[in-house]
This record gives sequence, structure tokens and C-alpha cells, in this order.
Amino acid sequence: MKNLLKIAGYAWAGACLVVVLVMFAGSEYLSGKLASATGITVSPRYSGGEVIRSIDHGTYKTILHRPVFDGLIGERRDGFIQVEWQPVTALPPLIEDAVDFTGDGKEDFSFRLDTVAGPGAITPRNPSVVALEWVVKVNQGWVARVQLRKKP
Amino acid sequence: MNPERATKVKKVQSRQSPGKSILLALPMMVLTLIMLSGGRIPSDPQKLFIFGVTYLFFNVLFFLMIHTGKTDRYRAVAFIAFSLLFVVSFITHMFEARGSMSLSHEKIILCEVPFCHLVIPMTLIPAALTKTIIFPGMITGGYASIASMFVIWIGASLALGRGWCSWGCFFGGLDDAFSRLLKKPVLPRIDRRWTYLPWAVLLAVVLTAAAFLSPTYCSWLCPYKAVTEFNEVTSFTILVQTIIFVSLFIGLVVVLPLLTKRRTQCSLFCPFGAMQSLTNKINAFDIRIDRDKCLNCKRCMKACPTLSITEESIRAGRSLLSCMKCGTCVDVCPTGAAAFHIRGTPVGEGLNGKRLLFLYVAFLFLAIFAASEIQEGLARIVRLITTGSMI
Amino acid sequence: MQGFVLGLSSGAVCAAYCAPVLVPYLLGEGRGILRNFLVLAQFLLGRLLGYLAFAFLAWGLNQSILRDTGQRTLLIGSAYVVLSVALILYSLFRTGRACRAAGDRGVANRLRGTWPALVLFVAGLATGLNFCPPFLLAVTTAAEQASLAQSVLFFLTFFLGTSVFLIPAPFLGLMRGVSALPIIGKMAAGLIGAYYFYLGLTLLAGGNYS
Repeated sequence: MKNLLKIAGYAWAGACLVVVLVMFAGSEYLSGKLASATGITVSPRYSGGEVIRSIDHGTYKTILHRPVFDGLIGERRDGFIQVEWQPVTALPPLIEDAVDFTGDGKEDFSFRLDTVAGPGAITPRNPSVVALEWVVKVNQGWVARVQLRKKP
Repeated sequence: MNPERATKVKKVQSRQSPGKSILLALPMMVLTLIMLSGGRIPSDPQKLFIFGVTYLFFNVLFFLMIHTGKTDRYRAVAFIAFSLLFVVSFITHMFEARGSMSLSHEKIILCEVPFCHLVIPMTLIPAALTKTIIFPGMITGGYASIASMFVIWIGASLALGRGWCSWGCFFGGLDDAFSRLLKKPVLPRIDRRWTYLPWAVLLAVVLTAAAFLSPTYCSWLCPYKAVTEFNEVTSFTILVQTIIFVSLFIGLVVVLPLLTKRRTQCSLFCPFGAMQSLTNKINAFDIRIDRDKCLNCKRCMKACPTLSITEESIRAGRSLLSCMKCGTCVDVCPTGAAAFHIRGTPVGEGLNGKRLLFLYVAFLFLAIFAASEIQEGLARIVRLITTGSMI
Repeated sequence: MQGFVLGLSSGAVCAAYCAPVLVPYLLGEGRGILRNFLVLAQFLLGRLLGYLAFAFLAWGLNQSILRDTGQRTLLIGSAYVVLSVALILYSLFRTGRACRAAGDRGVANRLRGTWPALVLFVAGLATGLNFCPPFLLAVTTAAEQASLAQSVLFFLTFFLGTSVFLIPAPFLGLMRGVSALPIIGKMAAGLIGAYYFYLGLTLLAGGNYS
């Protein structure tokens, strides 16, 4: 029994060496497999949530993400909606968009964006729309997040 | 053990002759050549030079470990070099890409923030319940993707347990370096209750991260933002966070290690380290103290940089769960009572073989993991010497 | 029944918000499972009184306090500041039990033995004031009840539904054998207290923490 344990111990230690070699040699493959096996994604609170609609304005597009109220379990009271305008090279100097994220055909808020100077402003039309959280220029275009709050 | 008997106890000879040392180090030379080059030796002269220096650096250190029988001093050279050159490489990269160390809002929005292992404890509960990671990084691809860091963490946990903190962590070398600057500690005593603080930090950040879906340690407490990247101070909240992390860096990474000669950030604060202690339970390697050889001189206890040896643990014949397997206690023990051990095997037998096996696993991990950052850091230094600028 | 079902559907969210406060406290006290159920009861009493107070307000004041965002934020901010002070004091001072040998020395001795319960009570009250969507729906439904008694009953059943998810918490007492846990629990309570202090100050200063 003692000898068996000894062999098992040394085998376990030897296996650690194999683990190190396999882990580094196959890190790209293993990380891809881990990601696909778990189906893990970045939290929508950081990624902005899935794209639900893309509105074509000819030279540019308005990309609408889903409203994010995700909590640890269930939903939270406060959330946001992320809106993007792309591509940065084809945006008009002034964008005035009417955004309907609920899909009921009614405008939920209107967005005014100066793509040259930067400041953006919203005019809420839906009581769930609270305020503009931030608007930032990125490589691809402009991204804005609008704060939402669930009403009972 | 009776002190009179002590003189008759010979320390297990772990020192090897040069010839035997080269033979024992040969597999490491081959493995590091394959793994560091990735099968392709660089053709560019500068890259070849840097590769050569890095390769020699690691293999000379490993040879010296085998030849002298000492572990910690050579481990520390590699470990500290890793941390310093990682910082050089990271900071210069930030300045090259953005002109500052500030984390741009764009990077956060595009989820391109490099993922570091310190975030892992906070992501586990939200990941289990929502199948999402509460961090603005990339799942796969790019630099330090989330999945790749998880793979490294899982591999390190299986192979090294908390040995990650002495052989893998690219931040650990910083407080390790400061803890070695003075010959004697100015503050020799640390209340043992402080060793519970990392667990409290772990509990606090895990619970608050799950409740608020935000990596609270990163936002509020991580001292290493001082040497990597941080939010630009644009609000009062960020100002408070900046004051906190700068203070923690100066206190826990620089001043306290200097004064106490202990790795205070790693052993008295880091929540990842606390979580990683649990992986020592499933690791093949640990440190055991042979009660038959032990003189009870407590040199191991006084020397341990992470407060992982106590009188109680010496009586129990082992180090505590927080042991980072740095090898300091093994090096200072006059009789070889403290030694690397493999679970399942008898204590006090085959010490040289067990140490060698551990060193192969740990040093190989360090060499492969650190190589690219060390080469990148060296390239920046070479650029500074040749052109006057690191960028 | 409707209140209970609504409570069950939102109980997990409540547990997530309560855990950072309740878990360190339960660990910090280092008590057994049965004693921890008593601790949980004290915590839940704080939450219940918070809920019942809103049941009364919802019915009597026609939800005005909940419609006014500014008042709501001030209320939550104040509760967070009080909670954080209680947590920090709890982490710093020994929660001495009343010394039998000292005899009944009156108020001071009794208070020393009792004040941990105040921490719990305040913690329960503060975490209960989280205006999650189901809570707001419960308020609206309660306000529509014909009488105060029905409003209170609705909130009571809602409260019971949310509390179900906190029942596993006392089983942390299984770990009472680990001697370090009370120290860890108190340290964690202090850290979380500091975090809630900042959140509370932010809300009182007019910001929001979401």
C-alpha cells in the first residue's frame, strides 16, 4: 500500500509537468475550447448587450442594442440602452435620431449628437428613460449609453 | 530534537557537482529551447540576441539552483526580473498606444481591457449564475484574453497550487524585491491576525462583486494599478479610488515589505492569493518538516516571507495552507528538515529527487510564462540604449 | 398568495443584496446553526419593519415618497450611512456578551450584550430599502388594497416570500469550528461597511451608484 501511494505520488508530480507543457503549448486551443464549452460571454453591463436592430440611413447606420437590466438573478431596477453610430468617416456633422427601443412604433427618446465637437443630448419621451449616461467616440464611430429605469 | 544530537545530523546534500548539475539541467535546456522559441528561432539579430539572453538567463539560474542546492535566491532573481520587465513592457506599451497610463473609456466600451488573474475570484459567482464575465475584456484573442488567463490559472492551480504566487504572478516580484533590500527587518513582528485579512478582502470583494456586478477589487483596492493602467481622474469617485490604490501600493508593496522583510501585499492583502491557498489542498507538492531532523531553531519561521510557518505548524510537520513554495525555509534549514515533498510519499526520503521534480514543474512554468514579457522588456531597454527612447 | 409568490420571484435578488451584510456578520459571530437562525430572525425583523413601514406609507400617503426620486435617494443614502457605521463599529469592537459574574449592572451591561442585534436590525432595514422592481410592484399593489390591514398583509406575505432565500444563511454555522472565521467575518464587515459608507455619501450628495 505504501509503495502504491509512493508511485501514485510521483506519478501525480510527473503529471504536473505534463500539465505545464500542455497548458502552454495548447493555450490557444484550450482557451477557445473553454470559451465554447462554457458558452461564456462578457457581461452585457460591459459589452452593451446584443444588437437588436440596425437602422440604415444611407451613409451611416444607427445600431441599437437591447435594453440591459440584467442582475445577478433576475433583473435590476436600473439599466441602460446602448446606441452606436457607424462608420466614423461617413457620419454627418449633426445627427438627430428618434429612437424606439420598445418596438411599439412610438419614439422613446430623441438623440442629438454633434459628431465634430462631441456633446450629445437626449430628450426623453418615455418615462423609463432617465438621462444620458455618456457618449464617447471610438475607432468605429460614436457610442452612447442612455440610463433607463423600470417603472412599476 | 536534542541540540547536542543536532551536530551529528548531517544536512541532506542537495548540492551537486558541476557535471551532474549540467546533466540534471539538460532536460530544462531542451524544454525551454522548444517552448520559448515556439519551434522557430528568431532570425532578426536583435530579437535573436534578446532571445539568447533570456534563454541563457533562465538556464544559468536553473543550473545554479541544482549546483548550489539553493532555491529561493535564484528563484527570486527570475521572479523579480519578470515583474520589473513586465512593468517596463506594460507601461511603455500604454504610452505607445495612448500616450498615457490612463485606461481609455474607448478600451472599456470595446471590451479590450487586458484580463489579469486578480479578477478571477470576483467573476466566479456571477459567471456561475449568469454565464457572463463581469469584466470589459475579450473572451478569446488579443492580449491577455479572459479565456487564456483562466486556462493559465487552472493549469497553475493543478501544477503549483499557491506556488503560483512565487513562480507565476507577474506582480509578486515587486514586493518580493522590496522585502530583500534591507539586511534586517525594522519591524520584525507582525500580529498573526493580519494573515486573515486576505480572506476578509476575498469575502468582501466576492460578495460586493456579486451584488453590484462589478469587479470591486479592481475598482477600489488593487494596488498594482499604480504600475499598469488606471482610470483617468475625471470624478470624485475616481479621485478617491486613485488615492486608495496609490496608498496601498506605497504601503503594502514598497514600505511594509522594506520594513518587515515580508511579502506583505501577497500574504496580508491579496484576495486571489487567499483563494489560491485552497488549491494547495489539491496540489501534489507541499513543504514538510521532518520532526526527527528538526532542531526547533525556528529559522524557517523567522525567514518565511509569507508567515506560513508557525510553532504549531512546525509541531505538525508542515507549512500552513498559505505556503507559496518559494523555498526559503528549505534553504535556511540547517539540517534539511524542511524540504519539498510530494504527497503520498514518505517524509524525509528522496528529498533531492522530490526537490528536482518540483523545480522542473515550477521553474518551467516561470520560464515559459515570463519569457515573452522579459524579452519585450529587454527590447524596450535595448531601444532606450540605442535610440534614447523606449517608445 | 399573490404577495408571497411575488416575494418568491424576487427573493434571489434580495439575497444577493443582503449577503454582503449578513454573511460577514454570521461568520463574525462564530455561532452554531441554531443561534444563527436567531441572528437571521433579528435581521429579518429589521427588513420586515422596513417593509411594513412602507406598507403603511404606500397606503396612507399614496406612494408620494416613492415617486419623489430625490426623497427616495436621500432615504437610501441615509440608511446606507447608518448601516456602514454600524458595520464598521461592529468590526472594530468586541461584541462582549454580558458578564454573568458582574451581575446585573443595568443598562450598560445589557446594551453591550445586545448591541450586535442593533447592527443586524439596521442592516436588515437598510438592505430592505432596496427599491427593486418587484418591491415597487408590491408597493403599487399594496396601495390599491381597500384597507390598511390588507396592505400590511400583502407586504407581510411578500416579505415571507423574499425571506425564503435567506434560510440557507444560518448554515454558515457549520464552519464555526474554523477559529479564524470570526476574525475574517469582522474584518470583512469593516471593509463592506467602508464601501456602503461611500455609497451612502454618494447618494446623499445627489449622485447614484448604479
